Amino acid sequence: MFDRRLVFHINWGLVALTAILFLIGVGNLYSASALRVASGIELDGYFNKQLLWGGAGLLVMAGIVLIDYRHFKAVSWPFFFLSLLLLLGVAVAGKTIYGAKRWLDLGFFNLQPTELTKIAVLILGARLMARMDGRLGWVNLGKVLLVGLVPAILVVKQPDLGSALNILLILGGMILFKGITAGVFKVLVVVLPVMLPFGWFFLHDYQKQRILTFLDPGNDPLGAGYHIIQSQIAIGSGGFWGKGFLQGTQSQLRFLPEKHTDFAFAVFGEEWGFFGAMILLILFCAFLYQVYIVSMEAKDDFGSYLAAGVFFYFFWQILINMGMVLGIMPVVGIPLPFISYGGSASVVNFCMIGVVLNVAMRRFVFKKA
Amino acid sequence: MGAFDTPERPRILSGPTLLLVCLVLLFCIFGIRLWYLQIYKNDFYTSRAQENRTRQSTMFSPRGIIRDRGGVLLAENTPAYALALVREDCPDIPRTLDQVSRWTGQPRDELQKVFEIGRKRVKHFDEQVIVPNIPFELVALVEAHRQEWPGLTIAVRPKRSYTYGATLAHVLGYVARANEEELNNDPDLQLGDDVGKQGVELVLERRLRGTKGLEEFEVDASGRVLSSRVVTQPVMGEDLTLSLSLPLQEVATKALEGRTGSVVVLDADTGEILAQVSLPSYDPNEFVVGISHAKWKELLEDPEHPLQNRPVQSAYPPGSVFKLVLGGLALESGAVKPSTTVFCSGSYQLGKRVFRCWNKGGHGKTDFRKSLRESCDVYYYQLGERLGVNAISDYATRCGFGVKTGVELPHERSGNMPTAEWKLKRFGEKWQGGETLNFSIGQGYTQTTPLQVARFVAALVNGGRLLRPTLLLTETPDVVGELPMKAATRKLILDAMVATVEEERGTARLLRREGIRIGGKTGTAQVVKLMDKYEKKKTQEIPYKYRDHAWLAGFAEKDGRRYVAVAMVEHGGHGGSDAGPVVGAVFDAIFGVQQAQ
Repeated sequence: MFDRRLVFHINWGLVALTAILFLIGVGNLYSASALRVASGIELDGYFNKQLLWGGAGLLVMAGIVLIDYRHFKAVSWPFFFLSLLLLLGVAVAGKTIYGAKRWLDLGFFNLQPTELTKIAVLILGARLMARMDGRLGWVNLGKVLLVGLVPAILVVKQPDLGSALNILLILGGMILFKGITAGVFKVLVVVLPVMLPFGWFFLHDYQKQRILTFLDPGNDPLGAGYHIIQSQIAIGSGGFWGKGFLQGTQSQLRFLPEKHTDFAFAVFGEEWGFFGAMILLILFCAFLYQVYIVSMEAKDDFGSYLAAGVFFYFFWQILINMGMVLGIMPVVGIPLPFISYGGSASVVNFCMIGVVLNVAMRRFVFKKA
Repeated sequence: MGAFDTPERPRILSGPTLLLVCLVLLFCIFGIRLWYLQIYKNDFYTSRAQENRTRQSTMFSPRGIIRDRGGVLLAENTPAYALALVREDCPDIPRTLDQVSRWTGQPRDELQKVFEIGRKRVKHFDEQVIVPNIPFELVALVEAHRQEWPGLTIAVRPKRSYTYGATLAHVLGYVARANEEELNNDPDLQLGDDVGKQGVELVLERRLRGTKGLEEFEVDASGRVLSSRVVTQPVMGEDLTLSLSLPLQEVATKALEGRTGSVVVLDADTGEILAQVSLPSYDPNEFVVGISHAKWKELLEDPEHPLQNRPVQSAYPPGSVFKLVLGGLALESGAVKPSTTVFCSGSYQLGKRVFRCWNKGGHGKTDFRKSLRESCDVYYYQLGERLGVNAISDYATRCGFGVKTGVELPHERSGNMPTAEWKLKRFGEKWQGGETLNFSIGQGYTQTTPLQVARFVAALVNGGRLLRPTLLLTETPDVVGELPMKAATRKLILDAMVATVEEERGTARLLRREGIRIGGKTGTAQVVKLMDKYEKKKTQEIPYKYRDHAWLAGFAEKDGRRYVAVAMVEHGGHGGSDAGPVVGAVFDAIFGVQQAQ
């Protein structure tokens, strides 16, 4: 089943970049776990757990790499429906944490079906578009969009605006990658901006508040604006070289909120400064570039679209999370891949990389002569 | 990759270009943003981070305490409780102020005013005193409800306490809450601080007040204190020991009690003030806790002006006490010899005006000694006429009259020694010859403070050194001038003063004490001129405000210790009989004669 020669075609650059980013993330979580108390320093166990989840992700990734990605086509529909079913399951029997129903209690761990849905939509989207010729017209566009909209609506109901947005953005990126006809493009360019304000009425109050706060953080410095302000203070006070590992006052003295998850990059920026943050940014770009190369070199459209989907999966998360931490985007609960703590997210990240590696290492096998 | 092979491919971003553009944009946007936050705005955010994690608080320093020369505590610090607000910890300030108003019964708008003034001066994480000096029951009540009112705290601040209250009010003065003006002028003062307002507390404020310290805390986001360090240590205020003797002060106060006036007791050789009494007095402790408006008005409108510190802030005509000065000038200038006699017929005629001697029968042949002993007016009318106003004025000024003594008490008055030019300038009128005669016996425009008189007599006694009177214990007296008199002149004057006490017909006979050399000079200062209708009446029959002021300036000497006591009784009537007993009581207390009597 597994061709030994494939090992030589593994994209080691991508593997190395993933490993470096993941280890940086774990190291940063170690620091983010440190809390200064009167008697010294106290550690939360986040980095331990992240290592465990990373290990689990690695196994899943290996599993994915073993199966030729062309077989994904066959399971794309069943997988998609399974994820929809699970989303419905969450709506009915989900576990409520922090006022949101996002988890299914499977006994040994809490499953977040949203993460599965992202993979399912990505694969199904790639499959559908691979079959379509040329640019997407209205009909094809509608078909593809439906694949994203149905799960997105279920996710929004949880409520998890961030993930819903993520699903739509991945699909949107893939659609643009595939290309749309000039007619569709012209209409969308006009209609989308006009539609945007209507989206306002579908937002929850806290979501509206976040957007308002983003526009004017000083308005409510101790309330909703607190996150944005403290995060920028953390980053900005880092300076060029940073305050040093375990030396970030903003994070250790708890001024920085959500420092393990959404604002983990702020901890990094505070302790490693402009120097460290730029290196991290360059690593992320190199990582995305590798995915881009895979998309270019894929032997078929399906593989190319898969890689492009993964590209957008990471791209949007990096853009939105860093944008939020750096105060140029509203606060949306989207983590930074590898850097933010998150069990399910880690596993899915490794799955995605598995998909890309899969496409990459099979680029020569059936190369046309 | 069929999508890219289409020949009629319009220029829409898609395919590989899209991914590359996304990548470049990502790098550029965040690269620039990171540069902006971490390099360009680094200083700003560094200080914000620093502000986040540090809090500062003031360390109060106690004010120096004040003792008398015997070591008795006169002014000390006792703990007092104040209701304070920490704005940062208070979620609903208006509601909290409502509650404070309910608890204390103070009007809500007044609290609001206090709060508004304070918020400009107190940092948002520091205690801002809203209601000072709250009773202990209220402290207990607030403590019990502390959980319900976050941000409200009980601040413990030292409160000044004056154990002997009114007895020392004019010397010590008092401290009270610094007002807007004082806060603006003195950057070291914080809202809610006490500052000296009167007396020694005001004049020696700089020495008494300590320097506040600063403590810095490192806190986490929830305000928990992780560590602290003292940035600047508070420095305690200097403790002062006054030259004042509390027992003597009490004796002098008691002796003058019920009347309006002053007593000053000096150590003639050092210039140290042993007692300084001004009556009526007030309780300085009321000012410390914040005097009520009604009480304040009452004190201000009292016709007896209890807030006035008479020994240095009131100037009166010295009356016959001034004859000591004139006598000195007469001998020094050679205008008379001690043996020169003047015939006193009971009056003296200048032009058409007749100037009376207080003794209508006349003193007959009067030499220098008799002129002082019996305080003959005619003798000095003649002298004054010969010497002239300007010479007298100049000489008196050199004797320390009409100039401030420089004692450590606020708002001292210099008094007045008139000259012909002064009158022309002041009233636009020429100096009249008759006014010189009035001046010669210490009436008219002449104005001296009791402390000036005491200092002059001290100089007569101590060998001619004009000292700066002081309220502090001194090792080396502060000599500010030389009395313009030869030793022989001083001796003649002092002998005459002793004769005033010792001999028949002396005006201060009731000062006589066995075994102590005591001398004195009486004075009666007219309040109104030429009140013929009261002339023949006894003091008790004259309305109070027209009664004469009574002076007695005395010295006492025993075993090398020399003291000066001056008593001045407003509207007291006659120097010898009214002011005399006060001086007598002081000397008794000093030399412990009281028991013997």
